[in-house]
Amino acid sequence: MSFAPLSRAPTAREPLRIAQSALAVAGGLVAWVVLLGPLLTLLWHLGPHALVVALSAPDALGPAGTSLLASAVALVIVVAVGTPVALVIAERGGAVARILEASLLVVLLMPPLVIGLLLVFMVGPLTPIGGLLARVGLDATNTFTALVIAEVYEAAPYFVLAAAAAFAAADHDVVVQARLLGDSPWRAFWRAMVPEVAGELATALSIAWARAIGAFGAVIIVAYHPYGLPMQIWTTLNETGLPTALPYAVVLLVVALPFPLLAYARGRHARR
Amino acid sequence: MRTTRTAQATVMALAAVALGACGSTQHASASHTHETASVAYAGSLEYLNEHVIGPDFARATGDVYEGRGGGSFGLAHDIIAGEISPNVFESIGGAPIAELEPRFTRWYVTVASSPIVLAYNPHTSFAPRLAAIAAGRAPFTELFSLLRTPGFLLGRTNPATDPQGQAFYEMVELATVRYHLPASTTSAVLGSLENPSQVYSETSLEARLESGQLDAASAFRSQAIQLHLPYIALPAAIDFGDPADAATYATASLTLPDGSVVHGHALTLAVTTLGRHDQGAAMAFVDYVIDGAGREALAAGGYTLLRPTVTGTGVPHVVRTAVARADG
Repeated sequence: MSFAPLSRAPTAREPLRIAQSALAVAGGLVAWVVLLGPLLTLLWHLGPHALVVALSAPDALGPAGTSLLASAVALVIVVAVGTPVALVIAERGGAVARILEASLLVVLLMPPLVIGLLLVFMVGPLTPIGGLLARVGLDATNTFTALVIAEVYEAAPYFVLAAAAAFAAADHDVVVQARLLGDSPWRAFWRAMVPEVAGELATALSIAWARAIGAFGAVIIVAYHPYGLPMQIWTTLNETGLPTALPYAVVLLVVALPFPLLAYARGRHARR
Repeated sequence: MRTTRTAQATVMALAAVALGACGSTQHASASHTHETASVAYAGSLEYLNEHVIGPDFARATGDVYEGRGGGSFGLAHDIIAGEISPNVFESIGGAPIAELEPRFTRWYVTVASSPIVLAYNPHTSFAPRLAAIAAGRAPFTELFSLLRTPGFLLGRTNPATDPQGQAFYEMVELATVRYHLPASTTSAVLGSLENPSQVYSETSLEARLESGQLDAASAFRSQAIQLHLPYIALPAAIDFGDPADAATYATASLTLPDGSVVHGHALTLAVTTLGRHDQGAAMAFVDYVIDGAGREALAAGGYTLLRPTVTGTGVPHVVRTAVARADG
């Protein structure tokens, strides 16, 4: 609240504005440090030595490979199944879309542990679905298949809701024009819509990937084996304690980060 | 408008609950200093501690009870790492407590034992035969030929992280020798130590057994009782519940993934206090378990009561007195 004469206003307000923006930047930095607190603590507590020891242990890289492969398969399934749902939510509007969206929110609200427990009832070995899966050689209990299923359930709602928001916000005229120019619906979607929302889709993919590779609650129930990284962290914690368990968290970061970074970079690139 | 009213009602309801909670705390602690017994306990005690012993202890003493369950060794590692700082630790066996010595404690009292059983789902196709064995209508040794039947879904916990998982594995070894079963029994019934088609997390194991996705699973007798699941009780010489059979138990052994060899031992419930904060409440809780209503609750919950035995040095006076009282 300054009542300074008009002619002096710019010089009087300048320091105030600088102070305000400095304060905003400082506030942002503090919030950033707070949010990254757990990560900074992890790096603070782990010397490079601990990491080397953890990585050179026998079977150290097995869980990383399992996690990467299972999450990649889960992500493919999430995208294949989730994209049509996201499109329906974004383009249909009305009651159907709202019901689809709300039901996915319900899945999102369920603690992953509960999802895991319900999956036992759904795909356990003695259930009809479990029996069918077993018949085609896909046992959904303590197997790679089970791990993928758990990851899909933990990750899919995040992808669908984020992708639906992206599709809804996209400029639909581009798609309409592509269709008018004779593109098939699939081609119009691929060539007009996808580049339009590439950045947002990359974010949706990254979130789904992070949820899949970090999935634990449902995994510990349906896929105690084969060990991916989150289960490896958990059992190592129980077997030998924190110092040996924490390095696996760094391994998880190292193997999980390249994909979202790449997706982000590609998304930015495609948007230009 | 309606939303606002609903919101107001919710806030008022929450406030009422909060006030009620404050009121009851004040009431409970009126005649006592308010201290907290912060108890880390073996996961198998979860139900008893959270629903029976903890609340009853809080009512009886005016202290606050706060519990946290987990694998005994996992909890010990959390305590060492400073992740958690309970003032009471109830562990299966003394070994997890020994890992905390001498920094956190130098003693523990063994109060009960926790025999293992084979719990089964009463609705699966194998249930009638399991029930016949449980009732003594079929010979006990038939259990082991049943367990190796193709298609029998057996569950157990991870021997690498869980004492019950170790004991169950060793139980089959002991039974093979004791009942002159074929030498292949252990490998045929259990497969590898961490057999992926049998080893589940404890939570998953219970859920699978209750939902009928397993025919039978290893369990403590206390768990089977809590879950209202039928079970086959095992002879004392192979159930790890009788310290008098310690020498027999020790003849069974297994090699863990990290290369260490563990020998069988009685699955006793050991209790100690840790650290320095709220020692009054911690002592009161241990007293309550050694010689109070907590002891009766353990018996009712499926534990076998033992004459309390002290191991170690520097045992606090309160604990010594409680042990002497329970003894007399």
